Amino acid sequence: MKAKHQRLTLGLLAVAAIVGAAVLALSALRDQASFFYSPSDLARDHVSTDKHIRLGGMVVTGSVAKLSDGVTTRFAVTDNVDQITVVYRGILPDLFREGSGVVAEGHLAPGGGFVADNILAKHDERYMPPQVAGAMHKTKSLDK
Amino acid sequence: MNPWPFVAAAYVLTAIAGAAIAFASWRSMVVAERAAEELRRR
Amino acid sequence: MPSIHALANPTRFLKIARPATPVCFWSGVALMLFAAWGGLTRTPPDYLQGETVRIMYIHVPAAWLGLGGWAGLATASFVYLVWRHPLAALAARAIAVPGALFTALCLVTGSIWGRPTWGTWWQWDGRLTSMLLLFFVYLAYLALNRADAERGGDGRIPALFGIAGSVLLPIIHYSVVWWNTLHQGQSIGLTGSTIDASMLWPLWYAMAGFTLFFTGIVLMRMRTMLAVQKVEARMRRMARG
Repeated sequence: MKAKHQRLTLGLLAVAAIVGAAVLALSALRDQASFFYSPSDLARDHVSTDKHIRLGGMVVTGSVAKLSDGVTTRFAVTDNVDQITVVYRGILPDLFREGSGVVAEGHLAPGGGFVADNILAKHDERYMPPQVAGAMHKTKSLDK
Repeated sequence: MNPWPFVAAAYVLTAIAGAAIAFASWRSMVVAERAAEELRRR
Repeated sequence: MPSIHALANPTRFLKIARPATPVCFWSGVALMLFAAWGGLTRTPPDYLQGETVRIMYIHVPAAWLGLGGWAGLATASFVYLVWRHPLAALAARAIAVPGALFTALCLVTGSIWGRPTWGTWWQWDGRLTSMLLLFFVYLAYLALNRADAERGGDGRIPALFGIAGSVLLPIIHYSVVWWNTLHQGQSIGLTGSTIDASMLWPLWYAMAGFTLFFTGIVLMRMRTMLAVQKVEARMRRMARG
């Protein structure tokens, strides 16, 4: 019985040590492990214009415009704090929508704004049939 | 983009993988239990 | 804990496991088929993703089995280390291969889902990367187990690894909360779901079906190991006598 209790204590200690190590490692990793910068991250931190980065946020409703060459799109991305203009030349994914999530890969333009070489659509965790979505749009706006 | 090829690929792959592991696990169980039973009878 | 002791007796375990194997397996298959029928034909498409959302009915249960499988493996490893129940070691080993398979299925179906929705097969975001890590951890566990068995070890090292590996579970779960990711946040929580009820119901059948199917497979693999052990023990006795 004594040996069993000893093993139980040792086992629990080992679990606690592993969890502690993980928490430490994660808190150190916290900022590095993010997939994209938000517009307010870019406004706050200085990020070099030749650094290839990802920018994520919501496409501002009413901001999407096709430029005169027909293949370049310009739109604004927001995190409800700051906003940045993105220019992208190429085909947009099917789920790219105004008011929906987006991740742009590219770099900051020297004169301000963001030049994207790839666009990913990001959707949120809400799933619903079109009728329900239509009804929701009528009653309340989609932003939290 | 037509979604159905993607949906079909996901379902078919899952069906194949599920069938494969079920068959392999069942077969090795039958073989092992039969061997144990034969040895016990001897 | 009398229940664990009772189950730890291989004869008693087999008495329950023999009839339980086909019951779990076939009810699992039936529920999975029902869920697939419901998810493919009875539910509406998503307002944003369209029909692609139907991949959810296999991607989510596969993810659950990958994570739940490791939780079971770690629990069994802990029970083995502390109470030295040989059946717990068996259970941990029996979970590893199906657990790895469903983790792989989660990754592959997620990739297939990502292409038409996000516009990419793969991105190194927190959720995807941590789940891939779990797959490698499963593979490492399998390799470690084999090495331990070949050396004639008692399975303590793989069991320790099984417990240590469970740090990945909260990381995977909270990856979408701690870091901004391409993967969306949690849809189903303790307080409810952000999936509309009309689309949610087949998911419950799928979760139950996948879990029963998984249990059936694990029982088959445990019975295989017990039979092999029996044969090996008898061979040793015959060689000696």
